Amino acid sequence: MVRVKSRYLLCEVNVSDRSQLLLLDDRAVAAAVKAAVARIHGDYGAALCSIRFNVKYVNAHTGTVFLRFPKRCYRLLWSALPFITSVEACGQKIPCFLNCLHVGGTIRTCQKFLIRYNKQQLHRMLPKCKNKEEEEQIRREILNCSLKGGNKEGFEDGSESEEDEEE
Amino acid sequence: MSVFMDLNLSYSSDKSRLHSLIESAAHLGFSTVAINYVFEPTAKKKQEIPAPTPINELIDQLPIVQGRSRPIRVLNRLTVVMSDSSHFRPSSPEYRCFDLLAIQPTTEKLFHAACMMYDVDIICISVTEKLPFFFKRAPVNGAVDRGLVFEVSYSASIRDATMRRYTIANAVSLMDSCKGKNVILSSAAEKPLELRGPYDITNLGLLFGLSDGDAKEAVSSTCRSVILHAETRKSASGIIYTMKSCQQEAPPAAHRLQTEGKHNSTESVRLVGGDSRCAGTLEVELGMNGDQ
Repeated sequence: MVRVKSRYLLCEVNVSDRSQLLLLDDRAVAAAVKAAVARIHGDYGAALCSIRFNVKYVNAHTGTVFLRFPKRCYRLLWSALPFITSVEACGQKIPCFLNCLHVGGTIRTCQKFLIRYNKQQLHRMLPKCKNKEEEEQIRREILNCSLKGGNKEGFEDGSESEEDEEE
Repeated sequence: MSVFMDLNLSYSSDKSRLHSLIESAAHLGFSTVAINYVFEPTAKKKQEIPAPTPINELIDQLPIVQGRSRPIRVLNRLTVVMSDSSHFRPSSPEYRCFDLLAIQPTTEKLFHAACMMYDVDIICISVTEKLPFFFKRAPVNGAVDRGLVFEVSYSASIRDATMRRYTIANAVSLMDSCKGKNVILSSAAEKPLELRGPYDITNLGLLFGLSDGDAKEAVSSTCRSVILHAETRKSASGIIYTMKSCQQEAPPAAHRLQTEGKHNSTESVRLVGGDSRCAGTLEVELGMNGDQ
């Protein structure tokens, strides 16, 4: 058996107002990507985008998104992503842009990268803490978020730790 | 590994907007950005070249770059939009305040002159209109030999569908003649939401007709070579760099080693390579009592 190959793009949704991120869901992101591909690459792009394109994971708190593209045309589809300027979710238009952080062959490598990345974000946030308790909490989270357990646990760690930093 | 740079962030007098622009660039992982002042002379009257605001006045604490432990580096850049050859004043003292000097020619003659003669670093390609001329091989090759680079900015193409067509068409016709070498991709962003991440820009190069390697160089190593080119522009044949250490009324062209006129000035001379790599300064007393 030869397995069907895909590429997973780990993207970060950047918005000016972080509270709007909570409105995100996978269907909204998928619709925005499909619309952008159809706008840039026309019918051909839309056709390619309809085969094995999928939004695998959305974290509304940190604004991270996993997109799956078929491997043979992922560069073409990726080149349409910079032209996304807004995502329409819950009847609201959220002005945002997608920033690709990592491209992986399996979802596992993307997850590993995301955990490392989120840990880095915590390190960046540490000097900005306002009081001692917050600092202590973040320090604890940094120690927590190493990938010891199974995949699932790692995921939760990654998302949870980033939530704390929003405070 | 090379670092990413974005050599075009539009200047706005609104400080908070500029601040958020720089912050967002640092978050995306750009280690060097340049703030762009556009100077568009009109035929009627002489206009003042805008003076750059010093970086430390603009922003008090520079944000740390994503994935690195260094603060972001911010440069000043001037773009002269030329429609007549008198608009560019070579060796004008105002140009020396800027780290980078760019030119945007609007006619074929000026494009030819900019490529072959003018002492600038960047030639901007217009992205908001259909090109009035073709890129000929000869001037483009001349520019590549002299170490100039061509700039394609992408934020206009994000704003509007017609601009996108112009941007892609102009970029592709440029790549035909320069074969993807000496091209930089920059944002020209006015708002933080118009910036894109470095990997996205690299992939966007695919649409502009760049190959994989060239597209990556367009956001990293070519930008670095522009900055080095700009540094050598300020120096005598790229080896000696002088700066004035005494306040005296000397002609502004005193950075040439052959100083003219009657004046005594101390100039510290040093080897070029940036402030960080300077091995030491050498004070030279220039006592010229010539009778010119």
